[in-house]
Amino acid sequence: MTLAPIAQFRVPSQPVAARVPVAVEATSDHELMIAVRAGEIRRLGDLFERYHQPLYGFFVRLTNQPSVGEDLVQIVFYRILKYRHTYRDEGKFSAWIYHLARKVAADHFRKHASTPIPTDPVDMLDQADAGAQPSEQAAAAEDVVLLRAALARLPLEHREVLVLSRLQHLEHKEIARLLDCSVGAVKVRAHRALKELREVYFKIRKEKVA
Amino acid sequence: MNCQRVQDNFIDYQDGSLPADESAQLRAHLTSCPTCQREWAALQEMTRKLDALPVAEPSPRLRENFYAMLDHAQRDADAPSPFALARSRIDRFFAALLPEQPAMQFAFALALLVCGLLAGQHYLARPAAAPVDDSAKREVAELRKQMDAVNQLVVASLLQQKSTTERIQAVLTTMDQKAPSPSDLHAMLTVMQTDSSINVRLSIVDALNQHSDDSIVRAGVLSALPRERAPLVQVAMIELLTAARDRVAEPVFEKLSRDESVDLNVRAAARRALAVLRLPAASPTATLQPAAQPLLT
Ligand SMILES: [Zn+2]
Repeated sequence: MTLAPIAQFRVPSQPVAARVPVAVEATSDHELMIAVRAGEIRRLGDLFERYHQPLYGFFVRLTNQPSVGEDLVQIVFYRILKYRHTYRDEGKFSAWIYHLARKVAADHFRKHASTPIPTDPVDMLDQADAGAQPSEQAAAAEDVVLLRAALARLPLEHREVLVLSRLQHLEHKEIARLLDCSVGAVKVRAHRALKELREVYFKIRKEKVA
Repeated sequence: MNCQRVQDNFIDYQDGSLPADESAQLRAHLTSCPTCQREWAALQEMTRKLDALPVAEPSPRLRENFYAMLDHAQRDADAPSPFALARSRIDRFFAALLPEQPAMQFAFALALLVCGLLAGQHYLARPAAAPVDDSAKREVAELRKQMDAVNQLVVASLLQQKSTTERIQAVLTTMDQKAPSPSDLHAMLTVMQTDSSINVRLSIVDALNQHSDDSIVRAGVLSALPRERAPLVQVAMIELLTAARDRVAEPVFEKLSRDESVDLNVRAAARRALAVLRLPAASPTATLQPAAQPLLT
C-alpha cells in the first residue's frame, strides 16, 4: 500500500466532482477494510460514508433509475461484508469496491436484459422542479434530460467508460484494470463513447424539435 | 501530426497527461486544421455537459438499511450466540435477587418456570424433587400472579423503552428461554409489527427462527410480511417461513415477487423461496443467499 486510494482519483475540476471523498481522515480506506476483515465490522460505516454517494452516482448514471441505484449500493456493501475475507493485504479498496460494483451492475443488467433503460419518473420530477426556474436554468435542465436520455441509449460498455472516467473520476489506469484492458484501449473507448454520445444527443434534440 | 493522431491524443490532452512536446504539436495542428478544431470543440462541449450532470442524493432509506445490516453483521461477528451473553447477565441479575430461604427460593424458581420468564437452567434443576404442600402452592399461585404482571410490564416497557439497544436486549432476554410462553411469543409478534427500529424488528425475526415450528409464530410473521417496509426484515421473514417450509406462504411470496414497487432483493428472495418451497422436500437447508461470487480482484 503506497498511496491512499483516494489519491488515485483525478483532481475534480467541476463542482459536481466535489462529492468524491477527500482523504483528510487519518485512517486510509485500506486500513479500514483490513480492520473490517479482522472483525471490526462497524468500521465499514466509515467506508460507507466515503463511498456510498459516488457509488450511488455510478449506479444511477448507469441505470438511469435512482431507486434501483440505492438497492445496488446496498448489495455492494452486503457483498463487501460477505466476502470481506477475500480482501487482500496488498489490495486497493477503491479498485475492489468498483470491481464489486461492476459485477453488481452486470448482474442487474443480466436480469433485466430485454428491458430498455427507463427514464426514472423521479428524475423527471427533479427536472420539472428546475423547469419552474428562469429560462436559462430551464434550458440547462432540459439539456440534462436530453443528456441522460442520450447516455441511456449508448451501449453499456460505452456508457460505463464515460461514467467511470468523466463522472466517477477514476484514472484511465484504474479503469483499464477494472475493464481488464490496456490504458490505450480505455482512452480509445472513452473518445469513441464521447463522440457517440454527441451524435445520439443531437439526434434526440432533432427528434424533439421535429 | 496527421488528424487521426491528433484526435487520438485529445483525451490525454484534455486531462493534461499528454507530454509537453506532443501537446505543443497538437496545439499547432489545431490552429491550422478546421476539422480538428470542430472535433475538439465538440469533445469539449460534451465533456462540459457530462461534468455538469447533477446526481440526485440517495434517500435516508439507504443509510438506514446499511446501518441495520451493519449492526446485524457486527453482532454475528461478536458473538456466535448473542443469547449466551444475555443469559450470563440475567443469571447474575437473578442470583443477586434470589431469596435466602430455601422455600422461597423454590417458590421463586417455580414461578420463573411457570412464567417462562428469564429462567436460567440451573435454577430449574434444583427444586425438582421437593415436595409441594398447600401453603407452598398458594405461595406459588401468588408469585405467578406477580410474575404475570412483571411479564406484562416487560412487554409494555419493551414498546416504550427509548434506546434501541435496550429494546434489543429485552427481546433477547425474553426469547432466551427454553420454552417461551405463548404470551411471550405473542408479545414478540406484536412488537415485531409495531417497533420503529429495523434492528429491533430484525432481532425479533432472528429470535423467532428457533420457534418457526410454532404455527402461531409463522402466521404472525406471514401476516406482518406484506406490511413490513424494510427489505432486510422482509428477507429475514421470508427466510424464516421458507426454513419452516410453510407452503401457506406461497401466495404472499408470489405477490411479493411480482410487485414492481417491492425492493429488488426482497423480490429475489421471494422468488428463491418459491423455488425452495416447490422443491420436493429433499434439501431443507437450501440456501437463500445470493450465489457466491468468485474470488475478486
Ligand atoms: Zn486535423
